[in-house]
Amino acid sequence: MDRRSFIHLLAAGTAGTQLPALAEAALAFKAVIVGGGMAGATAAKYLRKWGGAGVNVTLIDAHVNYRSCIMSNKVITGHRSLDSLTYTYKTLRDRYGVRFVKATVTGINAANRRIVCSNGTSYAYDRLILAPGIDFDFAGIPGMDAAAQAAIPHAWKAGPQTLQLRDQLAAMVNGANFILTIPKSPYRCPPGPYERACVIADWMRLNKPASRLIVLDTNTPKVAGDPYSAIQAEPINFTNAFKNIHHNVEYHSDAVLNGVDAAAKTIDTSLGILSYGVLNLIPPQMAGKIVMNSGLGLANVAGRWAGVNLLSYESTAVPRIHVIGDSHGSTQPKAGHIGNQEAKICADAIIRLQKGLQPYGAPKTNSACYTPITASTATWLTAVFAYDPATSAMAVVGGKASEPVEGPTRKIYEQMNVWFRTLMTDTFA
Amino acid sequence: MRRFSVLPVLALSVFVVPGQALAQSAGRLLASNCFQCHGTNGSGGFEELAGEPEQEIYDEMKEMQGNPAAAEHEKEIMVVHANGYTDAELRLIAKFFASK
Repeated sequence: MDRRSFIHLLAAGTAGTQLPALAEAALAFKAVIVGGGMAGATAAKYLRKWGGAGVNVTLIDAHVNYRSCIMSNKVITGHRSLDSLTYTYKTLRDRYGVRFVKATVTGINAANRRIVCSNGTSYAYDRLILAPGIDFDFAGIPGMDAAAQAAIPHAWKAGPQTLQLRDQLAAMVNGANFILTIPKSPYRCPPGPYERACVIADWMRLNKPASRLIVLDTNTPKVAGDPYSAIQAEPINFTNAFKNIHHNVEYHSDAVLNGVDAAAKTIDTSLGILSYGVLNLIPPQMAGKIVMNSGLGLANVAGRWAGVNLLSYESTAVPRIHVIGDSHGSTQPKAGHIGNQEAKICADAIIRLQKGLQPYGAPKTNSACYTPITASTATWLTAVFAYDPATSAMAVVGGKASEPVEGPTRKIYEQMNVWFRTLMTDTFA
Repeated sequence: MRRFSVLPVLALSVFVVPGQALAQSAGRLLASNCFQCHGTNGSGGFEELAGEPEQEIYDEMKEMQGNPAAAEHEKEIMVVHANGYTDAELRLIAKFFASK
C-alpha cells in the first residue's frame, strides 16, 4: 500500500466504513454457547455476523436438530408435521462459521473458564452464553412420578411428547374430558397454554363433539369475581375465545392440583376429583439444568431463574457467564421471539466488552406473538420493552402489551405464517 | 503531498472511530429488533426495509406514531412498535436500513 492509498483508507475509515471493519477483524476471542434454541442459535449467528471471523463460536446442544415450540400446538391437532418445525445448524455452520458440537453439558469450571460435557470433553471460553431454556418441576404434584410423567405428556418442549399428545387426543373416547393444566407464572410462552386450549377445542368440536376441554389455570384472578382475569397473556383475545368461540371449553382459574392418579386417570383438584381421557399437565418451570445445577449460584432470582445485567445479559453472580432466553429472570416473557432479541443484545454487548467498551446503554426488545385461535383464524400480542436505568429493568413502553381490537381473523392467520417463517430465518439462517 | 496530512488524520481517526463504531452499533442493535419480522438486515418478511430511503422509513414510522386510528389494518401491530421508539431511535433505525 502506498502512502496515498493509505491516506485514502484512513479518510474512508473516518467516513465510517473501513476502519471499524479493521477494528473488528482484530477482535479475537472464544465464545461457547450452551443450548441451540431460539436464543442460543441467534447468539451464535450474530456473534459471528457482527464480531467477524476472529470470534470463535462453539454451539453445544444435546440434539442435532431444533424442534420449534412455536406452531407446535398445530402438530397436536394434525395441522402441521413435526418435520415442518425442525431446524438444523447447517446454515449457522456453513454461512457463519459456527462450530456445532452435539453434547450434554454437565458443569462449568468458572475459575479456568471451561465448560465440561458428559463425554469428558471440555471447551475453553472467554465468554460463555447459557441458553438452556426451561426445565420442569414436578415435585409439588403428588403422583407425578417417572411412570406418570411418561404417560402424561406436557408437550411443552416440541418433540416426541408433542406426537404423544397428538396420538392420545386422536385416540380419546368421544365424550371423555381433555384436561389441560396451566402452571403459575412465570412459565415458557405466556399465551401458549391458552392457545393450545383454543386449537384443541376447535379440533374437538369437529372430531370429539361430545367431549369437554377443561382448563385448570393455577394462576389467580387479578380482579376478584372475574375468573378470566387470571389469563396470563392476551386477556381480551382469550376471554373472548373461551366465552364466545369455543363453547366446549370450561375455564377455571385459581385451580389447585392436589395430585394425579395416572392408573385411574383422575386428577384431584380444588374442583373435586376429575376423570380424564387425556391429561395435558403443563408443570411448573425453572431454568435449564446447567443454570440450576452449576453450583455457581446462577439461579439467584426466586431460586429458579438466572439474574442478569440486562445491558449485557451477564450473570449477576459470575462474570463472563451470560444467560439469555427462558432461563434468565426479568420482566420479559419467556418466549422465542424476544429470546432472539435478548441474544442480539447479548452478542453486541459481548463484542463491545471484548473491545474494552461498555454495552449499549438503552437497549430495546420486543415481544410479538401471533396466536392461532381456530384452524383458520389468529390473533396477536405485542409489546416493546425499554431499559429503565432507574430500576435496571426492562419496562413495557406504554405500560402494557397490546392485542388487536377486532378479535381473531383469517388475515392475521396469514400474517402469522409470514411472522413464523421470518423469525425462524432470522434465527437459523 | 504535504507532510502534515498523515498525522492529523491518524490522530483524528483514533479519536473518532470508536465513537462512530459505537453509533453504528447502536443503530444496528436497535434495527435488529425489527429483523424478526422484516428479515435479517431488513431483507424481507412483512416488508423489505433494506435500501429504502431513510426519510421514507422515518416518515412512515412517525405517521404511525402520530395517528394510529388512520393506520391501515395490517399495520396495526406496527403502530404499537412505532410507538416504542423515540425520535432519535427512529432516525438511527431508518439510517441503518437505508444503508443496507
